[in-house]
Amino acid sequence: MDNRRISQLRAITARVLGLFRSRKRDREFDEEMQAHLQLLVDRFVAQGMSQEDAAAAARRQFGNTTLLQEDRRELRTLVSVEDLGRDLRYALRSLGRSRAFTAVAIATLGLGIGASTAIFSVIDNVLLEPFPYKDPGRMVFLQIHDTARGQEGGRQGYTSNELLEFAEHNHVFDGVIAASDDLVLYKQGEGVELLYGAHVTPGTFEFFGMPALYGRVLQAPDYQPGAAPVFVMRHKTWMVRFNGDPGVLNKTFVLNGTARTLIGIMPPRFGWYEADVLIPETPIRGAATGYAGLPARWFLLGRLKTGVSKAQAAADATVIANHLAKINPQDYPAHFRVFVKRLGDTVVGRFESTLYTILAAVGLLLLIGCGNVANLMLARATSREKEFALRAVLGAGRTRLVRLLLVESLVLAIGGAALGVLIAWGGLKLIVAAMPQNLIPAESVIELNAPVLVFTLVVAVLTALIFGLAPALRAARRELNDPLRDSGKGVIGGFRTGRMRDTVVVMEVAVSLTLLIGAGLLMRSFVALREVHLGLQADHVFETQLPLPEDRYKTAAQVRGFFQPLLARVKAIPGVVDATESSALPPYGGMDSKMDISGKSHEEEWHTLLQNISEGYFRVLRIPFKMGRAFSEAEINDARRVAVVNETFVSTFLRGEDPMGRRIKLAGLETLADPVREPWFEIVGVVADVTNQGLQAPVEPEVWVPYTVTGSGAQVLLVRSQQTPTALMNDVRQAVWATDTGVALAFPSALQDRISQLLYAGPRFAFLLMTIFGCLGLILVTVGVYSVLAYATARKTHEIGIRMALGAQRTDVLRLVIRTGLRLVSAGAAIGLIMSLLLGRVIEAELWRGLKPYDPATLAGTTLLLVGTGALACWIPARRAARVDPMVALRYE
Amino acid sequence: MTNAKKSEVLQGTLDLMILKTLHALGAQHGFGIARRIEQVSRDVLQLNEGKVYTSLLRLLQQGWIAAEWGTSDNNRKAKFYSITARGEKQLAVETENWERISGVVGRVLRLEGER
Repeated sequence: MDNRRISQLRAITARVLGLFRSRKRDREFDEEMQAHLQLLVDRFVAQGMSQEDAAAAARRQFGNTTLLQEDRRELRTLVSVEDLGRDLRYALRSLGRSRAFTAVAIATLGLGIGASTAIFSVIDNVLLEPFPYKDPGRMVFLQIHDTARGQEGGRQGYTSNELLEFAEHNHVFDGVIAASDDLVLYKQGEGVELLYGAHVTPGTFEFFGMPALYGRVLQAPDYQPGAAPVFVMRHKTWMVRFNGDPGVLNKTFVLNGTARTLIGIMPPRFGWYEADVLIPETPIRGAATGYAGLPARWFLLGRLKTGVSKAQAAADATVIANHLAKINPQDYPAHFRVFVKRLGDTVVGRFESTLYTILAAVGLLLLIGCGNVANLMLARATSREKEFALRAVLGAGRTRLVRLLLVESLVLAIGGAALGVLIAWGGLKLIVAAMPQNLIPAESVIELNAPVLVFTLVVAVLTALIFGLAPALRAARRELNDPLRDSGKGVIGGFRTGRMRDTVVVMEVAVSLTLLIGAGLLMRSFVALREVHLGLQADHVFETQLPLPEDRYKTAAQVRGFFQPLLARVKAIPGVVDATESSALPPYGGMDSKMDISGKSHEEEWHTLLQNISEGYFRVLRIPFKMGRAFSEAEINDARRVAVVNETFVSTFLRGEDPMGRRIKLAGLETLADPVREPWFEIVGVVADVTNQGLQAPVEPEVWVPYTVTGSGAQVLLVRSQQTPTALMNDVRQAVWATDTGVALAFPSALQDRISQLLYAGPRFAFLLMTIFGCLGLILVTVGVYSVLAYATARKTHEIGIRMALGAQRTDVLRLVIRTGLRLVSAGAAIGLIMSLLLGRVIEAELWRGLKPYDPATLAGTTLLLVGTGALACWIPARRAARVDPMVALRYE
Repeated sequence: MTNAKKSEVLQGTLDLMILKTLHALGAQHGFGIARRIEQVSRDVLQLNEGKVYTSLLRLLQQGWIAAEWGTSDNNRKAKFYSITARGEKQLAVETENWERISGVVGRVLRLEGER
């Protein structure tokens, strides 16, 4: 850095510091001046003046102290308020004069700022501040991660014993609470309705620190043995089910057969466990049975003590987990790690990187917008050179000119921000509608709020600096005399000023290509995701869970007594092709079970997924058989010990052997509330693989057995129909009620809709937004390329006229202009390609496995699209240039 | 505007004179600098002595001079200014500039006179 630059830097620093240390400095300055005056007076007195004359003479010689103070103040700070007012007035007047420029600039900036504001709102409300609780940043949960498994995640449900061990023996938590699921049936009118309930441990509401909206929260006495049964309701449930009627407070509801009083309704943003109703329960040591006869599992949440890191917490929890693994080795993998995750990680997880990718994209879009406005400003500055030169000659300092132009930029940016807030406000509604609901915390409310508006303001000021500084510095740097001499239409004049505008266009094209490649990759990824073969046909399938009242449905015979007539009734509904019972919903398999095969010995434990079904299952989901056969109706009715396995099961455990007739032991069935003794089953069929761990994870070994072998397990009804699946809802409900009035449909849906929401909503959101921003970027770049070329050709009309007068053909001129434009576009494209490759890592996490960030098809396609559009943008100015009449062009001036 | 222009022209020369003074005499307080300029210019230059302080502040911000509180000859508290190494460098550059420009201006004026 040269001496001058350092001096400038120091001066700016001194001024910035001057903002803070002003008062003391002012006093010192005063003292210094007073001392000087006094010395002058002394001198004059010594020369023989009277005291009064000397004072007057001293003041005369020293000059006006007030003016001096003002000079000093202006020097010391960056701007004086008075000058700022003048600059502001001037900027408004000058922008008002060129309306078209102002409108285009504000629209461009508004688009960029609006898009960034909208995305930042989402990030702020979903990632940064989603939880309205006390200290949500310190709320963590534990995962037991099996290190033998490649993918992330692990068990996060704990038995009562484990919960109490963690709660009592840790050294890292201020408090530990837990919740466990329960499907709650309650009598409403003639039939029953279903709510998603959570059993919550003592201290839960103190932990969250949120009071009830109406009534009160659960308190310690509610957990005492013999206390009156009570519960608390979520706001959303209260609004949907009871239209927000305050009259339901203190009413008694029969929940799963127990009369409980509703004592409180929570505020809208309370969403713990997404439970409709919260029921007090004190965990006790010993095996407790939870929903559907499965062992109760607690989801545990702890608050880290202040100063305790996640790593420290993980180390402490590992000690306890190791101890527990010794007591209950069956519940722990051979090698495991304890992960400590923040509350937000429950839902957001993968979505977080998606949102940040989109924020980056929006930043790029804003950058392109800035580029366009900077180019407009540069062009404008060129035509205003004479004005600036005149100002400079008349005594406006360099800083003054820079400041004036920066104030103009700031006015534009603030205008853009105002428009941007409007755009964000509207766009946010669309974004929220497109957002995958299962990927964001229930507590988050997406809206424009104070932090978001502050963000917008900061972005606006930054943009003003980005697009305004270069033109401003440039305008101020020019030699004063040149523009006064130059008529602005000379042969040489146009070339020199173009370099900076060219650079901006090249950068814009590069950024736009990066954006387009990102969008292209996400699009390819999304298409690939849609093409993944689930292994089943999800269309035209209606699904509903049917939680059966536990008091009346304990044994296999009781459950069969419900489903046999129900399936017959459902199959009789017009339009229904087939129906089946199942214990799990695709794309997930059933419960995990230990497994042995007779005649096979193995050292490590073998595990398989285990699902209970009726005979229609493979027909309803159209899952093809590879070997053997499906269950017969008789086998289901008699609860025969037969099993169907998937191909992965065979290739994992029986590679190269004939699976038919092999006997397997499914130990998991022994642990159920309605256990199966000596659970040996004979394999009668092998089906093709069906995704059973969600889309991303590889297929696990899976076994299907007749649902009639046990009364435990979740119950699901799947129906294949000829019409729209959800149209069956009422008929199915009637069939259920005809079988048992005490059973309610839980989460009825079309299988395909639920799978879409579950698996595609996140990627679709990312790809949708990226595509929108990519297209906006492309439009902005087209405008940018066009305006630069149009401006350059307009300035070179004279030159083109001379060329044509000297014999150049129209095609030569056409070629010249298009070549100039395409050179910029291809330079930008080359830089953009390099940038994309460098940034590939960022987007790689968002891509479907197998798709690389340097996917050649995507790179080629988007580059072609960009260059094509760029050529189009060159065409119009080129045509106009070619139509220049040399006579007119030369006569002009 | 006219005023600002005048002070700006004066500003540059005053800065140069102060730098030169500090270069020649070493550390000085504001009053001393004013006296020195008065003495050297032999009352040709009509100087508002307050302007010295604006100049000093500007030079301080550029890092060309340094300031320190001290005691003056008559035992008053006063701020003493001294030229820095970078100030010396700048003085050399500015002096050369000034000589070149004044030379050119002088030549132009002589030409005018010959006609």
